[in-house]
Amino acid sequence: MTDNIIVSWSSLFLEDDDPRTASLARRLAIAVGLCALYGVAMGVCAGGPSILVHAAGVPAAVLAVLGLGVPALYIVLTIFGAPLVPARLAEATVGAFASTGIVLAGLAPAVALFVVTSGAPSTAAIASGTGLALGGAIGLRRFLRSLHEQLADADSATRAVSLIACAGFSLFAVALAARVSIGTLPLLGGGS
Amino acid sequence: MNGAALAELLRDPSEIARRCREDDGVREIAVVSLIAITVGSLAFGGVLGSFRAETQILWSGIKLPLAMLGTLALCVPALHGVACALGRPRPMRATATLVLAATARAALVLLAASPVLWLAIDSGLGYHASALLAAIVYGLSGLAALGIVLRGLGAGPGWLTTAVAFVAIFLAVGGQVAWNFRPFLGRPSQSSIPFVRAPEGSFADALVTSAQSAAGIYRHSDLSDSDVDDDAWDTERSRATDPYGRRAP
Repeated sequence: MTDNIIVSWSSLFLEDDDPRTASLARRLAIAVGLCALYGVAMGVCAGGPSILVHAAGVPAAVLAVLGLGVPALYIVLTIFGAPLVPARLAEATVGAFASTGIVLAGLAPAVALFVVTSGAPSTAAIASGTGLALGGAIGLRRFLRSLHEQLADADSATRAVSLIACAGFSLFAVALAARVSIGTLPLLGGGS
Repeated sequence: MNGAALAELLRDPSEIARRCREDDGVREIAVVSLIAITVGSLAFGGVLGSFRAETQILWSGIKLPLAMLGTLALCVPALHGVACALGRPRPMRATATLVLAATARAALVLLAASPVLWLAIDSGLGYHASALLAAIVYGLSGLAALGIVLRGLGAGPGWLTTAVAFVAIFLAVGGQVAWNFRPFLGRPSQSSIPFVRAPEGSFADALVTSAQSAAGIYRHSDLSDSDVDDDAWDTERSRATDPYGRRAP
């Protein structure tokens, strides 16, 4: 039995394949807003400026990875002959950001609970860090899947090189996201 | 309450899951589920409170439905976000109804187990044994709920990842919410019966402490004054015991 197709806002947001710049920019802005919601949840315990700092810091970590890592990955893969189309890569990037955003926004109420009710700051930090890791991992997974689809027609040597490059990108993404998060988010020990 | 929908919740989780996925009569499922959650958890909470008796019955009867519904309210957005991002972008009402139906099934299992737990408590089952029995019943009710959730996710890539994420999020959030609403059993020699205990650590901290205690590792810093005061029934207990009254080696 197949499921009936139900169109939801989430599916429109996540699976929008409109390649126009305006559409990508709109989805990017929504994803930034969704990530910022998670930041607000992280900052509610300290309140005041902490809310703003966290709301800015969470999307900043994702934007840093996408802004610094994806262009570098594109250059490396193109040098080795991978048949990447910039427009599709941009679409994959925004799609990954959208996935991360929707997961983080969904986790925001739960993280607010942990931040507000945990006795030890370390528990709140671990809970919110786990949420960030989950959101980031799901976004990264979607990005790599999308890249894999784009490389389906490439020869085996190019695919092998791409695999190594993607592994390197994943490591870089995790390290950079951790660096930016820990450096900017007071709950994780940053911003002091 | 619609008896057919209630029976379907218990007897045919696949059909309930299909209706949630396909947005077929979800309003009816949601209403029946909310009633089942309220009634089932209220009864089970009351039975838990009967260990301490008096006001604890009322408090636990009120707190358990609040804890379950609070967990749902906090979890549904997270589960919806994860499901969407892992390839199941259904409307949020579909996710909400699926989780409501699963929790209702769990609440009905709690309702069914309430007389057994009550009899055990009334027959003089101790504090730790009662807590353990209640935990076993919770576990069974969770398995009953899992049947609906797993079917409701639908086949396809990322099914296992989504299922694991659902369970992990639900356990973590549910544990923390319940932790904030404790006590549910209530200790017999407590002089007063609070609606909730003073904020103290977190569910995760308690799990770590319990695991360490089980391994024979005791830290005196784990024992706050309130721990000692709360355990008034154990008058011989000294600072050399863990927060649950077990004597350190």
